[in-house]
Amino acid sequence: MKGKLKAFWSLLFGDSVRAFGVVSLVFLASLAIAPSKNYFSEWRHYQRGYLKMVRNRADAVTLQRHFQGGIQQIWLPEIGVVDRCESCHVGLKESSLANVSLQPYRNHPVIPHKLGEFGCTICHRGQGAATTVSEAHNSTLAWEQPVLPAKYVESSCGTCHRGPVPGTPRLNEGRRLLASYGCVNCHTIKLADGATMKPTDNPPSLSHIADKTSREWIYAWLKDPQAYATTATMPNFKLSDDDARDISAFLMANSTPISGDTLAISAKPSSDPTAGASLYGESFCASCHAVQNAAGNVVGGDVGPELTRVGSKVKPEWLQAWLRNPRIYNDGTPMPHYRFNDGQIATLSGFLLAKTDSDLLANVHLDPSTPQQVAHGKRLVSDYGCASCHEIAGIKKPDNFAPELSRIGSKPITQILFLAGMPHTLPDYIAGKIKQPRAFTTGLKMPQFTLTQTQIDDITTALLSLNDRANSLPPSMTVAAPSESNYQPAGQAGKLIHDMACMTCHRINGHGGDMAPDLSWEGSSVQRQWLTAFLKNPNTLRPALIRRMPKFNLTDSEVNQLSDYILAVYQSPTVDRDSMPLSGYPAGQVELGKQLFYGKYSCQACHIVDSNTDKGYIGPTLTQVGSRLTAAWIFQWLKDPQALRAGTIEPNRAMSDEDARAITAFLMSQKGGKQQEAAKK
Amino acid sequence: MAKTVDQYFDDLRETRVWRSIFRSGSGSSTLHRSLAIQQNVFLHLFSTKVRTRMLSFSATWYLGTLTLGTFLILVATGIPLMLYYHPSVPQAYADTKDLQFVVSSGIFLRNLHRWSAHAMVFLVFAHMFKVFYRGAYRPPREFNWVIGIVLLLITLLLSYTGYLLPWDQLAYWAITVGSNIASAVPFMGSKIHFLLLGGNAVNANALLRFYVLHCMILPLTAIFFVAIHFWRIRKDGGLYSHSSEPATRRTESAAKEVR
Repeated sequence: MKGKLKAFWSLLFGDSVRAFGVVSLVFLASLAIAPSKNYFSEWRHYQRGYLKMVRNRADAVTLQRHFQGGIQQIWLPEIGVVDRCESCHVGLKESSLANVSLQPYRNHPVIPHKLGEFGCTICHRGQGAATTVSEAHNSTLAWEQPVLPAKYVESSCGTCHRGPVPGTPRLNEGRRLLASYGCVNCHTIKLADGATMKPTDNPPSLSHIADKTSREWIYAWLKDPQAYATTATMPNFKLSDDDARDISAFLMANSTPISGDTLAISAKPSSDPTAGASLYGESFCASCHAVQNAAGNVVGGDVGPELTRVGSKVKPEWLQAWLRNPRIYNDGTPMPHYRFNDGQIATLSGFLLAKTDSDLLANVHLDPSTPQQVAHGKRLVSDYGCASCHEIAGIKKPDNFAPELSRIGSKPITQILFLAGMPHTLPDYIAGKIKQPRAFTTGLKMPQFTLTQTQIDDITTALLSLNDRANSLPPSMTVAAPSESNYQPAGQAGKLIHDMACMTCHRINGHGGDMAPDLSWEGSSVQRQWLTAFLKNPNTLRPALIRRMPKFNLTDSEVNQLSDYILAVYQSPTVDRDSMPLSGYPAGQVELGKQLFYGKYSCQACHIVDSNTDKGYIGPTLTQVGSRLTAAWIFQWLKDPQALRAGTIEPNRAMSDEDARAITAFLMSQKGGKQQEAAKK
Repeated sequence: MAKTVDQYFDDLRETRVWRSIFRSGSGSSTLHRSLAIQQNVFLHLFSTKVRTRMLSFSATWYLGTLTLGTFLILVATGIPLMLYYHPSVPQAYADTKDLQFVVSSGIFLRNLHRWSAHAMVFLVFAHMFKVFYRGAYRPPREFNWVIGIVLLLITLLLSYTGYLLPWDQLAYWAITVGSNIASAVPFMGSKIHFLLLGGNAVNANALLRFYVLHCMILPLTAIFFVAIHFWRIRKDGGLYSHSSEPATRRTESAAKEVR
C-alpha cells in the first residue's frame, strides 16, 4: 500500500518538470471553475425550464417570440431601481399564463400600473440587482430587505399614495386604525408630506370624571376595558389590583365638578322600555352608538361609545344633563345637542340606565382612598402616559411619550431585538410588537390592545408604508392625500352648526365626517322651501338607506337662521342657482326630457320618478326633485356629476347641452304634489 | 541527429530579433549569464549569482516572492475591477452588486482581489518576522529593513483604502472609526482627519480620495519602493544567509583550526 502511494507520488511529482506540469493542470482546472459557475447560473436554469414548459402549449409560438434570453432588467435611475427579477420570472407579462401556478413562471396579476413603470422591488422589496434565488428573496448579511410577504404588499402602495386608494383596503384600514385606536397619541408619525398623523379616537377628558361615573366603574374599566364594552378602543394596561385602585383614587380626587353637568330632573327616569326603544330609534342614536344584542353581535355605529352596559357606568343625574345638552360637560363632543324635552329625557335616560351588567361591578369593593394611594396613583398616571390620550387636570400631555414611528418601515434589522422563535424580519417584528407589546423585555409600558389578527396585519401594512422611500420620492411620483381643513363656520349659524355637531356627519369645505352628504355647495343645489321643511322634519331621500338625519327639534327662528346661512354661504363657484328658472319649461322640452330619461339614458335603473313603475333605488328618489333642487344644479350635475361631488357613483354620460336641459326641464316638473296626494288616497 | 530543445533555444537566441531585444546573446559562460541579468531592466534589480542553498524553501519560505506574487495578482485583478467601478456615492455599491450578479466571473475577480489582499497583509507580516528572527535586518541591510517598513505601511494603507470602496455599511463604519483614530493625533488630529476624508464626514469626497489613493498613488509608490527593495538586496550582498556572515565564518574557521 505504502509502495503504491509512493509510486503514485513520483508519477505526479517525481521530477521538477512533472511537478510543474501537474501543478499547472490543477491550477488551470481550478481557474475553469469560475466561468463554469458563471455559465451554470440559476437564471439560465429557469430560462431553460421556461422554454421547456411553453414548448407543449398551444400558444408556444407567441410565448417563444416574446421570450428574450439573458439577464433582463428594469432600470429606472431616477428612483434607483435595478430589478433583474424578470431574468427568472420570465412570464410576468404573459397574460396567457394565467393558468400556470408554478413559480417563477406565473404571470403578474392585473394592477393599475404597467409592470415596467416602477419595477418590482418598489412594491415587493427584496434585492432587485440579485440574480440568484436566495440573494434576491431573502435577507443576507449584505442586504436587509427580504421580499415582502404578499399580505403586506399594499404597504408599498402607501409609499406614493398618501391618501386612501380604492384598491388597497388593507392599507386604508390600517391607517384608519392607527388614528382611531389612538396609536398616534403616544407615537408621533410624521408623514412624508410634512403633516403629522392626527388621532381620531377622541378620548374623553378625565378632569371632571367624578361627575360622570363611580370609582368602582373606573377600577373595573382600568382592569379590563373590554369587559365593559367589547368594542372599546382603550387598551388593557395589565394593571395590578393595587395600581388600578390607586389610579381610580387619584382620578376621583383630581376631578373637579362642572356646574350644570349633573341634573336632578323633576321627571324620574322612565322605566318604559318600548317608549325608550322607539325614541332611541327615532333619534338615530344607533348611527353613532353600538349595542351588543342577545346574539352577541355589536350593532350600530362607532362614532360614539358602545352603550351595552351604560347603566353600570354613568350616574343618572349626569346622563340626564348630558342628554339635555352634552356641550356643558364637553364642548367638543361629536354628540349633537338634541333639544329633547323633559319627558323625552326621562324616557331615554330610563331606557339607557336599564342597560346594566350586574357582573361588572359585583366583585369591586374599594375602601376609601388614602392620600398615599392618591399620590401613587398620580405617579402611575404619569408613568403610563395616560395624559397622552386623556386630558387630566394638573398633568401635562407628554411629548413623544413613545418612540416615533415616522420611518418604522425602514427600521434596520440590526437594531431590532427579536423574540425567541420569531422570524427575523421587519413585518414579523412589527406584527409581534402590536400583538404582544410587553413580551419583548421587562418594564415596557405599551398596553395590550384588543385587535384581531386581520387588524394587526392591517396596522402592520400601514406602518410598513412609513419608510425611507416614502420620504425620498420625487414629489412628481407621489399622490397627495385629500387635504383636511380645519374649517369652522362663523356667526350665529356657526354656533348652531357646532351645537348640533352637524360636522360629525356632514363634510363642509374639506372638514367633517363622511356619514352624510357634503354640504359645501348645498346653497347652490337646494330650494329654500324644501330646506326649511327638511330641517324641521328630516325625511329620507334614499330608500336604500337605514340611517337618516335625526330630528333636532329646532325652533322656527333657528331653522330660518340656518337656511339663510346655508343658502348664502355654501355656494358652488360654478353653479349660479338663479341662472335657470325653477318652473315654466315648455311642455315639448319636458316631454323630450322624459323620453331621454327613460330611453337614451335609462335613469330609472337607479332613480325613481314614478313610484308606480320605477324600481331604481341606488340613487335618491326623484319624485319631488322639482321642489327640492335648483334647475341650475340639476343641469350642471347632469353635465359632470364628479365635478360637483368628487367620487359620486352617478356616471358622467357626456350629455349634450340640449339633452341636459331637456332632462332638467323634465325633472323640474316633478314637484311631488300629485304623487303625495295619490299616496294619501 | 535531432536537435534537443536546448539547441532550439540557442538558435532562437542567436536570431537578430532576439539579439536586438536581449543584448547579452547566447552562451552559458559566467559572463553571459551575468550580462543576461544586468542588461535587463527588470532583472538587473536581482543578483547575478545566488547561492543554490538560498533557493531552497527552508531558507526564506519564499515569503518575499509570495508577497510579490499576491501584489501582482492584485494589480492584475484590480485593473479589470476598475472597469466596472464608479467611485461615486450612488453607483459604488450598485457596481459591487453588479460585479457579484451580472459581470461574467465578476464575483471571481472580486473575491480573488479580496483574498489576495488579505493574503498579502499576512505574508508581509510573515516576511518581516522571518527577516527579524533570522537577524537579516542587521548591517549592511538596515536600510532595506527601513524600506520594508515603508512597504508594510503602504500595504496597510492599500488595504485600508480598498476597504471603503464597496461603500457598504461595513466599509462606511470601518473608515469612520479609522479616520476618527487619526483625529486623535495631538494638535493636528482634526486637520489630518479633514485631509484624509476631504471633509468632516465619510462622504463622496472621501470615496473619491480613497479611490485615487487605492488605484493610483499607493500602487505606484509601492512599485517604486519594491524596486528599491529588490535592488538593495543585490547591493547588500544577496539574500541573507547565516553562514555568509563574517562572524560565522570566523567561528567556523576557528573550529576547523582547533580540529
